Amino acid sequence: MKLLSNYIKEMKIAARGFYFYIEIAMAVVLLAVLLFAISETSTSSRKQFIYNDMPQKIAEYIKDSSIDRGEARLADPTEFKLKPAVFEIMNQETGETTAYRFDDEKIIELETIEMLDSSTGELTETVYYTEAEEDMIRLAYGESDVGATVTMDGYGRVSYQYYLQGYETDRLESLLYISHSELPGVISAKKDRQVVRTLGVMETLNNRENLVPVFLVFAGSLMGFFIVLAYIFYDKAEGVIRAFAVTPSSMWKYLISKVFVLLTIVIVSSSIITIPVMGGQPNYLLFYIFLIITTFAMASLGLLVASFFDSISKSFGAMYAIMIALMIPAFSYYIPSFDPLWLRFFPSYPMLQGFKEILLRGDTGYVLTYSLIFLAGGLVLFVLANIRFKKTLTV
Amino acid sequence: MIKKLLIIFKRDLLSTRRDAMATYMVIIPLILAVGITLFTPGLNDTTVKLAMLKSDDIEHIDYMKQFSKVELLGSVEELERRVEKRDDVVAIAPRGNGYEIILQGNESEVVEEYAVLLNTLFELGSTEEETTAQLISFGRTVPPLKTMLVVMLISMTIMLAGMLIAMSIVEEKVENTINAVNVTPVSQTGFVLGKSLLGGVAAMLGIIGAILITGFYDINWFMIVLVGLTSMILSFVIGFLQGLSSSDVMEAAGGVKLIVLPLAGSIAGYEFLADKWQWTMYWSPFYWAYKANILILSKTADWRTVLLCTVMVIVLSLVVYLVALPKLRKGLS
Repeated sequence: MKLLSNYIKEMKIAARGFYFYIEIAMAVVLLAVLLFAISETSTSSRKQFIYNDMPQKIAEYIKDSSIDRGEARLADPTEFKLKPAVFEIMNQETGETTAYRFDDEKIIELETIEMLDSSTGELTETVYYTEAEEDMIRLAYGESDVGATVTMDGYGRVSYQYYLQGYETDRLESLLYISHSELPGVISAKKDRQVVRTLGVMETLNNRENLVPVFLVFAGSLMGFFIVLAYIFYDKAEGVIRAFAVTPSSMWKYLISKVFVLLTIVIVSSSIITIPVMGGQPNYLLFYIFLIITTFAMASLGLLVASFFDSISKSFGAMYAIMIALMIPAFSYYIPSFDPLWLRFFPSYPMLQGFKEILLRGDTGYVLTYSLIFLAGGLVLFVLANIRFKKTLTV
Repeated sequence: MIKKLLIIFKRDLLSTRRDAMATYMVIIPLILAVGITLFTPGLNDTTVKLAMLKSDDIEHIDYMKQFSKVELLGSVEELERRVEKRDDVVAIAPRGNGYEIILQGNESEVVEEYAVLLNTLFELGSTEEETTAQLISFGRTVPPLKTMLVVMLISMTIMLAGMLIAMSIVEEKVENTINAVNVTPVSQTGFVLGKSLLGGVAAMLGIIGAILITGFYDINWFMIVLVGLTSMILSFVIGFLQGLSSSDVMEAAGGVKLIVLPLAGSIAGYEFLADKWQWTMYWSPFYWAYKANILILSKTADWRTVLLCTVMVIVLSLVVYLVALPKLRKGLS
């Protein structure tokens, strides 16, 4: 009963302050960003500048063939501003260097072709064709993108001269070399004969849906860590924690009532973001279980950290370091081939992956396993925070 | 005026030293800079990962190692289990006279394409020596991802400085020292600037240290200092708006979340919006600060663009400041 009355009292106080409404407003803004600013299909920003050193008709034929095969589509011509620049280029095999100096500034309009993913039809790369080789080199340098001169000799053999920035990995350079060691037709024919076996039909999140776990973890559960800290310091400043020492109510009830307030806010704001974007697709029972448990664990961590400091300024270093560390797994989430073992020990890693699995109705075992781990971890942290608060009262 | 301003700065320096908050402001960007330096080589080398059998032809394994990261496992079942894990790994296993490529089913097309191409080239016996391609390099050594992370770090430090100012003002409010200042000869503007100096100076030191640690020595330092100084104005405005409009720590904490949104939005807008839509971000001073820093660190900045960016940061910050002035005065009184 006391717990309930504590919770109701805390909710009334929270509803009187601005913070509660800021959270709701933020969730609405994030939802608007997802719905109106993020498209469902991903659009690649990869660019390539090409200068065709071959008869115009042949160049046109090659482009038209790609468009006819559905591998590319013609886009509106694009305008580029070429700025003055001074730079040097080096041939990687011969070591020969050439210096360039451009003092003029000019605007050019380039024929633009968009390369498409053969299965999804999504844009994979935008290719711009220049009429002069120097313009291509200038653009590759100025825009920091790949450039290439495509030459056709008298026997109809095509060769590429790539202009790279210099920071590309050795593996990528090696791949570029061997990709041009056979005739394109030979490679294409052999590629078509490769045996590819897929282990299962896997659902994937679209570009917009893929952001939902990130918002849930960073704007929801992880913010819980920060906000519970702020709540505790607010109460410390007001002397509420000291007052608890002379009431029959136990400290853990006070702490858990703070966590419940936070859970209420996170549940409301996360629902505002998730339901309109995902509709009926996720397993909502699992979703709320995982959301509540992860927020509880993060809030307990916040409580424990708060027990060591008496003002938000003093806790700043620890709070900020923990928040930054918890953001690192986002790299692995967005770059799946970057997945070092040490990253999996950060709690936000299974949080991101867990929400992804829930939204996809994927690996329930993974979600339940981590729910148990977070629950156990959260309880341990909560008990430790309770001991600390009881021992120190005002610290 | 300057003397009074410096007295407030000195007082803040002494009181903040007790909490070590300003020290964190300098040290945290430095630690993050070390993290970026250690972290980016792995992030930049994200070519496809392959799983192959230990019993596979050694020539096949060595060939693939030239172009990808290779993990060796004992059986096809182990390969399948590895492919089914969370990251993108493609398996290549012997089958009959050739090989089969095993996918989980949720990999991007680029990953599948890469693995198929590599196996095709191996089966064709392609070598680098037979290539008709030539590679020319502009000699740049810093990958754009590293530049982007460092500039994000700079933007976060600007925001942090704002937070430092905001928190210190909220604490002044709680301690009722703001009212005390109103009866001293220090003007409200002087108080505002004096309070802001600490956050600004700490942020500048943190930013310069982070740039040095991440190895950007040969950039145009005049440009970076100019952008840094104008970004300080941005920190001042954020800090004062947040600090004076919040009556307690909870509201200031909520305000942090509100500031993160335009900051993250500006970075995402600059990086992902097409050129024709970049104008939609012109309202944000974070956008201009981010743009200037990224151009300077990637060594493609010219003075005209840098000056435009700094003028925009100053103008937009001042507009926000002037619009919020009545509220600031109210907060100060």
